[in-house]
Amino acid sequence: MSRINNLRIIIAREWKQRVKRKSFIITTLIMPIVMVGLMVLPVLITALAAPDNQQYALIDQSGRISETLDNTPLITYVRYDGDTDYTTLANDEQFEGVLVIGPDIIQNPDDVRLYTRESASSSAVTQITAQLKNSIEAERLKSYDIENLGAILNQIEADVNVSTVRFDAAQEKETSLMMSALVGIAFSFLLYMLIMLYGNMVMTSIIEEKTNRVLELVVSSVRPFELMVGKIVGIGLVALTQVAIWVALIGAFVAWALPAVIAHFAGAQGAEAMDSLFQLGQPSYIITLMLYMMVFLIGGYLFYAAIYAVVGSSVDNIQDAGQLASVAVVPIILSFILAPTVVAEPNSTVALWASFIPITSPIVMMARLPFAIPVWQTLISMGILYISVIIMIWLAAKIYRVGIFMYGKKPSFKELVRWARYK
Amino acid sequence: MDNILEINEVSKHFTGHTALDNVSLSIPRGSVYGLLGPNGAGKTTLIRIINHITAPDSGTVTLNSHILTADDVKTIGYLPEERGLYKKMTVGDQALFFARLKGLSKKEAEKALHRWFEKLEIDSWWNRKVEELSKGMAQKVQFVLTVLHEPELLIFDEPFSGFDPINADILKREILELRDKGATVIFSTHNMGSVEELCDNMTLINQSRNVLTGNVAELRRRFSKNQFKLTYLGSQALPEDITQNMLESCSPVESDSNGYNNVIFNLKDSTDIRTLIARLNENVEIRGFNEILPSINDIFIQVVKDTKID
Repeated sequence: MSRINNLRIIIAREWKQRVKRKSFIITTLIMPIVMVGLMVLPVLITALAAPDNQQYALIDQSGRISETLDNTPLITYVRYDGDTDYTTLANDEQFEGVLVIGPDIIQNPDDVRLYTRESASSSAVTQITAQLKNSIEAERLKSYDIENLGAILNQIEADVNVSTVRFDAAQEKETSLMMSALVGIAFSFLLYMLIMLYGNMVMTSIIEEKTNRVLELVVSSVRPFELMVGKIVGIGLVALTQVAIWVALIGAFVAWALPAVIAHFAGAQGAEAMDSLFQLGQPSYIITLMLYMMVFLIGGYLFYAAIYAVVGSSVDNIQDAGQLASVAVVPIILSFILAPTVVAEPNSTVALWASFIPITSPIVMMARLPFAIPVWQTLISMGILYISVIIMIWLAAKIYRVGIFMYGKKPSFKELVRWARYK
Repeated sequence: MDNILEINEVSKHFTGHTALDNVSLSIPRGSVYGLLGPNGAGKTTLIRIINHITAPDSGTVTLNSHILTADDVKTIGYLPEERGLYKKMTVGDQALFFARLKGLSKKEAEKALHRWFEKLEIDSWWNRKVEELSKGMAQKVQFVLTVLHEPELLIFDEPFSGFDPINADILKREILELRDKGATVIFSTHNMGSVEELCDNMTLINQSRNVLTGNVAELRRRFSKNQFKLTYLGSQALPEDITQNMLESCSPVESDSNGYNNVIFNLKDSTDIRTLIARLNENVEIRGFNEILPSINDIFIQVVKDTKID
């Protein structure tokens, strides 16, 4: 009973000391603002940069195009007779410009001019050009005098939009591959960041206790194993706290604020973009996916935190730690580099093997999970990872117990192995 | 005699060296026990074994007549030689953390802490961060953390290193008070003076072995070289028949600031002290006759030298 109690006290201290810090509060609050900013900014920029509706005077000397040009959100045409003098209209402040379509426009598509006082808006020119092209082509087609032309054209027109449907016996889910890739990359990055950040925190905190000599006092009350596990769990809870706050803040934003913002600035198009956020699958599927990811997130953190604990306990200053820590850092970076490949080919041999080897599996599985890989693969990967976590923590505890009392010389790998064997 | 702690043939090896080699010792309840030895002799390893921090390769440790378990650390208070505190925590938070690890409830801990802090005049520092504390204050906090849970067995590893004389005195007083209340105290030190002053029994560890163990007073008598100091009035040298027949050796006479003469001599094995005093009394006006017992320091040096020769 007292063991559990000790563990609880240590975890509570590790957690409380860190969550209280200003640096924690600041990063926790600033990160979502940055992320939300990254989500909203592009929408805002396009919305704000879009020009207002502009009026153009339209003089159609051919008499055949004018009626086919429709107003757009950007452009309103004010039609004048073919013989109107454009110079007076060009000086009229209410018009952005005067579009003069020549009499021979159908045969000679260059016979069109846009007169403006200032340089013409490029988006307006693009739209006008596209509209004219369509109108001229339609007029030319008409001249062939084909019967039922409209019906034929409607029949020919094909609007292609591939929906990727992942087949599942239980239920069919419509998903976007793009969305899966995005979620995969995002979550492998999240885990990569968490391991680097919080794994390092485990290491430096152990080194600090060593150099402070506070360890000697602590281990006279608790077993080194409890102290190490308490520290890893406590710091892990700090990470979870941070992630939970991020998820809550961003979730709240996406649920309430984002649709309003997008609808306000980007109209219907934005709403479509919102829908794609939910193309990952049905809510129940998303929840399962998140649970799986959580399991790998925690397993990955525990596995690497144990390695960092070994490094921290075997040295007594940060400088010496660097070299040993690279033992841990290299596989983390390697698996992060693998992530894009895995996302591109989630069922490749490399991806499969990388999800079974515990040093790469957590981050690689983050990338693979959104692609709904076979359940047996997930379970095997999970099993191997958690067995490795137990072995790693057990081994780390053995080395830690000896290492924390070793000062001075940086130990060799051989010495670490010997430490693990001490009674 | 009732022993609180028995260490029975404990050995501990590390790669390349032996930290403890078949060490046995018994610590009587309610006494102050000195654990002496040069640096690197194995004292700290032994203390770590008693504290269940490391396990012996062979041998047993018995506390209160049962084999030591991890839960026993709650009945032990240990002040390590290398001691630190969490710098960024406040004194109060930190003290509560350590107290609760020793099994005290928050309420009990707070009450006991304030009582001790007031006694040692550090209560006003409760909400300050440890990094603001002077070294002496931090030491006081560590001392309180060691004794707070009223352990039966207290272990102090070099307790006076880093203390100024005033605080060292306070510490000594508190330690003896704890002993009077029934606690057993183990002192690990290479400061011999404090052993003579405080310890009832002692063990000398050298080169991983227990080379000498016993009651401090008995040991000093055992190592006595039959040396005495005579203080007397008058300037005359001692009669020759005494120096020749009864004394092994004799220092030159020295007079001190009080006008007394002092002389130090070793007795011959055959000399009877009462006869000697009677003879001296006929010749000089005796003001003092004392046996000179070797200091623990002398014994220490002699034993360490002797064991080296082996």
